[in-house]
Amino acid sequence: MDWLSKHYQQQKSYDELVGEGAVPRLPAAPLFDYLSTLDSSELRARRQAADAAILAMGITFTVYSEAGNIDRAWPFDIIPRILSRREWVRIEDGLKQRLQALNLFIDDIYNAQRIVVDGVFPAEVLASSRNFREACRGVRPPFGVWAHICGSDLVRDADGTVYVLEDNLRVPSGVSYMLENRQIMKRLFPELFKSSTILPVDDYPNRLYDTLAALSPREGERPVVAVLTPGIYNSAYFEHSYLAQQMGAYLAEGADFFVSREDIVYLRTISGPQRVDVIYRRIDDEYMDPEVFLTDSTLGIPGLLRAWRRGTVAIANAPGAGVADDKVVYAFVPDIIRYYLDAEPILPNVPTYLCMRDADRDYVLSHLHELVVKPANESGGYGMLIGPRATSEERGRFAELIAANPRNYIAQPTLNLSTAPTLVEDHLEARHLDLRPFILQADKLYVTTGGLTRVAMQPGSLVVNSSQGGGSKDTWIVDEEAPCFRA
Amino acid sequence: MLSRVAENLYWMARYLERTEDMARLINATTLLLLDLPQGAEFGWDILLQVTGDAELYTEHYGTPEEGRIMRFLIADERNPNSVMAAIHQARENCRTFRDLLPAEFWERLNTLFLFVREHAGTSSDSRHARYAFLSEVISRRHALVGLLISSMSQDNVYQFIKLGRNMERADMTTRIVDVTSAVILPQDQGLQKTTTSSLWLGVLRALSAFEMYRRHVSVQVRSNQVVDYLLKDNKFPRSMKYCLGEMEVALAYLPNAGIPAEAVRRARRRLDALKLANLRPDLLHEYLDQAQKDLAMVHRTIQGTYFAREDTGFDGVPSGLLLNAAQA
Repeated sequence: MDWLSKHYQQQKSYDELVGEGAVPRLPAAPLFDYLSTLDSSELRARRQAADAAILAMGITFTVYSEAGNIDRAWPFDIIPRILSRREWVRIEDGLKQRLQALNLFIDDIYNAQRIVVDGVFPAEVLASSRNFREACRGVRPPFGVWAHICGSDLVRDADGTVYVLEDNLRVPSGVSYMLENRQIMKRLFPELFKSSTILPVDDYPNRLYDTLAALSPREGERPVVAVLTPGIYNSAYFEHSYLAQQMGAYLAEGADFFVSREDIVYLRTISGPQRVDVIYRRIDDEYMDPEVFLTDSTLGIPGLLRAWRRGTVAIANAPGAGVADDKVVYAFVPDIIRYYLDAEPILPNVPTYLCMRDADRDYVLSHLHELVVKPANESGGYGMLIGPRATSEERGRFAELIAANPRNYIAQPTLNLSTAPTLVEDHLEARHLDLRPFILQADKLYVTTGGLTRVAMQPGSLVVNSSQGGGSKDTWIVDEEAPCFRA
Repeated sequence: MLSRVAENLYWMARYLERTEDMARLINATTLLLLDLPQGAEFGWDILLQVTGDAELYTEHYGTPEEGRIMRFLIADERNPNSVMAAIHQARENCRTFRDLLPAEFWERLNTLFLFVREHAGTSSDSRHARYAFLSEVISRRHALVGLLISSMSQDNVYQFIKLGRNMERADMTTRIVDVTSAVILPQDQGLQKTTTSSLWLGVLRALSAFEMYRRHVSVQVRSNQVVDYLLKDNKFPRSMKYCLGEMEVALAYLPNAGIPAEAVRRARRRLDALKLANLRPDLLHEYLDQAQKDLAMVHRTIQGTYFAREDTGFDGVPSGLLLNAAQA
């Protein structure tokens, strides 16, 4: 059946899979060739199979609500999001460049602060940064790298330009869903994988292990790696468990560790203490060590910072790495790239107004109806104002918030996020989406092949966060120049 | 292996065993009450006595009645021993170490949990629906055990599962024998004989021991012989003695097993010394009380040796516990 001409209405947005005149873009052509052999009942059957697989595999995430924590099945759309390899290579370079520069920035901020001295980065932004950790001053982690795992959110505007929307440098999540989405697609559409040139994604766990192992302070031994999780009730617990399993690492909670008087970190095991070399922490800085940060945290490891500062254990991401994960710092990233790498940014930032600047703030306050306003330190899409969709009361409330604490707010033009066909009942409809690739850095740099595509399931909605009802798609990087493409 | 993981494995096995034991107990009791002659003076509340939840039941439901008791024992998560609560606990425990077990195990356990969640509520609508539901739970749980037995190395992970399973089994067997022995029988001599035999037949069925008992002990169901079989038989997998033996074998695979293994041997020595012929009911009850305490001690030594969270826990169990174990 012909899925596009009959059912698919293109919007003003850029569509990832479908070009002018409802013709599939080249990398998506084999997919539509294949879909045309299916009728809607067959496609529905595949979708049901996907839902059943997700339920049986227990792929879930937890939603916090007033009614208690709900364990929801992962919402998944079976139509993949497709990018050409040629375009991806450029994005990959841009992401590597960005993380490299961000790590140089963090290392500088906790040491000489050359960038502040040279007047490129304002001291007052640093002074008011909520994620700057005094306890990290003077530390030199291996390779000068602080953010070993970064999840950057990419969006595409109506003219086709891909922008970096934000860099998640604290504890970015979602990579396990990227891997599981691919597993589900391979179960559902083995025919497509047999005949096309979709690049594999499954080496991520090995690359993550190599990245972590490279940080080990003990040479010559197989490093002991542990994933530090806040526990089963965390929304990303599934991912913590998944990654530990894939890497052959311990999955441990704060109470499983202790730090000896010699500042060595151990795990409690059935045969006695086991020394730990590298901790992949999936809890925020504040909860990591009650001796240094929140003293009533039961999730952390008392003494962990002592051990880290002495270099007996490596922590990824390093404490304090979040200093660069701030929407005000974000606005400076192009300058940061130029300053440390002496190069132009490959990937552009979304134009950003900093409310701390008088001129910007005046502009923002008089253009609230066309801007997106975001708090500097929130993640997960919380506390945002989408100007064009907000009521005048909501805009009024934000004007007050901005006036009261300008440093805490930035604003960006409302982008017309790109769309992709998404299965709605028995036909395809356009839904907005973004993309979160994951970038690793230790002694080497690595970018996932594609990433996690998040899609807003409601028509017209721009909110893709899974905590707010978003879904996801498998992301295909297709090599349309390979000899066997469309064979 | 992390101490916490060992603890979760052990408890998952206990909860899974509990799920099946509870299902089996309810089905067997249903059959038993149907067979019972008029005038027998006990009813559905015997289930609450076995699980030790009578007080909690009264708090939430008041007077004992079949439908309400079933809801309490099957679907009510406020009762930590209910089928629903046990399978939920088993699943949450399993989630924390999915990677250690065959992948299929988690999928099947999760499917069983979803099945129970969907049907537990309506299963108490009729005896027929209940029987079918519980039988399905039992057979799915068997598939889980079979999967482990046939696809897992006999490594530490497996040994903690084995410890949990046998601990829970031994506990359930002693509880059932204890409660059954305390049932007040009708005065009439003839009625007393048929009631006794129905009752112990029910117990054998609840522990799926009927066929083995008939083959290895007797065609007649006599209380002394049944008790002897369920406590002291060397070969029946649900007898207390067999479970203790299995725990001792499991401990032999584990590091630092001295203290728990000694606690197991102590429990078995006491069991060996028990002479059941012509034993007065009150003495049997006293013994079973002690047996429960012995099992609790085995549990505490396992906990102290392997699950302890305090930094001092590595040298073995805290000294207080050592002293208790020596005195017991």
